[in-house]
Amino acid sequence: MKRQVPLVLCFVFGIAMIFTQFSPHTFSQGIHNEVTNWTHIITPFALVLAVATLIQTHWVRIRRRTTHWQYSIVVFAGLITMVAFGIRSGPKNRVFEWLYENVQVPMDATVFSLLAFFIASAAYRAFRARTFEATLLLISALIVMMGNVPIGDFLWNTVMAWTPWDNATSNASQWILDNPNLSSRRGVILGVSLGAISQSIRIILGIERSYLGGGD
Amino acid sequence: MFEKLMRIDRRIIFIFVGLAVIVPTLFPSNLPINVPEPTRQLYDYIDALPTGATIIIAFDYGPSSFAEPQPMAEAVMKHCFDKKVRVIGINLFAETTTLADKLMQKVAKEKGAVDGEDYVFLGYRPGALQVIIGMGTEIASIFDSDYAGNPLAEIPMMENITNYEQISLLLDLAASSTVEAWITYANTKYGLQIGAGVTGVIVSQMYPYLQTGQLVGLMPGFLGAAGYEKLIETSAEGTAGINTESFVHLLIVGLVVLGNIAFFIQQRREE
Repeated sequence: MKRQVPLVLCFVFGIAMIFTQFSPHTFSQGIHNEVTNWTHIITPFALVLAVATLIQTHWVRIRRRTTHWQYSIVVFAGLITMVAFGIRSGPKNRVFEWLYENVQVPMDATVFSLLAFFIASAAYRAFRARTFEATLLLISALIVMMGNVPIGDFLWNTVMAWTPWDNATSNASQWILDNPNLSSRRGVILGVSLGAISQSIRIILGIERSYLGGGD
Repeated sequence: MFEKLMRIDRRIIFIFVGLAVIVPTLFPSNLPINVPEPTRQLYDYIDALPTGATIIIAFDYGPSSFAEPQPMAEAVMKHCFDKKVRVIGINLFAETTTLADKLMQKVAKEKGAVDGEDYVFLGYRPGALQVIIGMGTEIASIFDSDYAGNPLAEIPMMENITNYEQISLLLDLAASSTVEAWITYANTKYGLQIGAGVTGVIVSQMYPYLQTGQLVGLMPGFLGAAGYEKLIETSAEGTAGINTESFVHLLIVGLVVLGNIAFFIQQRREE
């Protein structure tokens, strides 16, 4: 019963929502709007679930004194502080905004910025023209990298001024993005879309049941 | 020597990268910027909008990636306020709310735009896809009030706006796959025109949509922000950003070339 009810619900709503996409009738659109409204109510529950899981995971780490369990205390400190100020006075509260602008934003930006250092180091060590395919990839990458910044055209127009092509770096980069990139991306999009359609049909028909979790 | 070059300490590379960021930031250069064609298309589309038209800007990025989309948002909002095009701000990710709110207030103050008349910031609602689909039927069913808590019915500029039919453009400033979601659910289902400004890493994903016309224009990373700033005849963070990025790209290209030269010489010696 625990499995049959979700399977039936999934089938009924899946088929109904497919039909609403192809019928502009007011009855059909009414169903679409009603179900969409339900999802607005259901979605915030995911947030509750996420917070509960976060608390459970980090509480277990602290209790068991696992490696780096001290960082879990920082998680609780951050969570409790932001929730305390956010719930009590709303997101426009001065302390809440100050913490966001002076703690969360710089920390998030710093962690993401570290990528530039690692990418530079990794590119130097690993980006090698070992095969024909790797060489093609490398040349394309270098052209796009230089074509996407003004210094590429500046250097070309200065050093290669004798050639008849102005702004050749950005033009070459644009050609790569407009042709080989576009064609391959479209192939990927079509493949992913067909995969998504087949997976959706499998879920709606109850063939794919992994989303229900294991056991009865 | 070449073996040493190939085994260079990564901390030396880190120092070079640090210098490539710090030096151009402290001593800015004015490299000539060629406006990308998709950015020009977006500019032309907004420029052709009549006075009083309304666009939505979706601030779909986070604090980790705000460096690129934020100057785009600033440039587009300046253009809109100059042209008396009204702006509705929303965001599909909770963590952007304060950033977007502050930015809208800053640009509005600079351009003398009035909250509730020339612009409104609606903020965040959970469930990205449901928000996109729901707004197509009725914006008020998703956002019953703006971010400051004013009921939507009491906001003058929202008086004649019910759903996407009254919106001339949605500009998605994104650092992830939200542009595809807006295209799939708002463009295909409701016919809403979509423009995008995206971080450098996802630019290549946008080209199929540009070619089909599902995107009216695109701002690709810092180059798009700098290009838009050039079109509205200003120079701000986008221009500064692309100049700094120029030197980092040049360094990485130099490192890759150097690494390959050392690799080939070593390989030849081994043979």
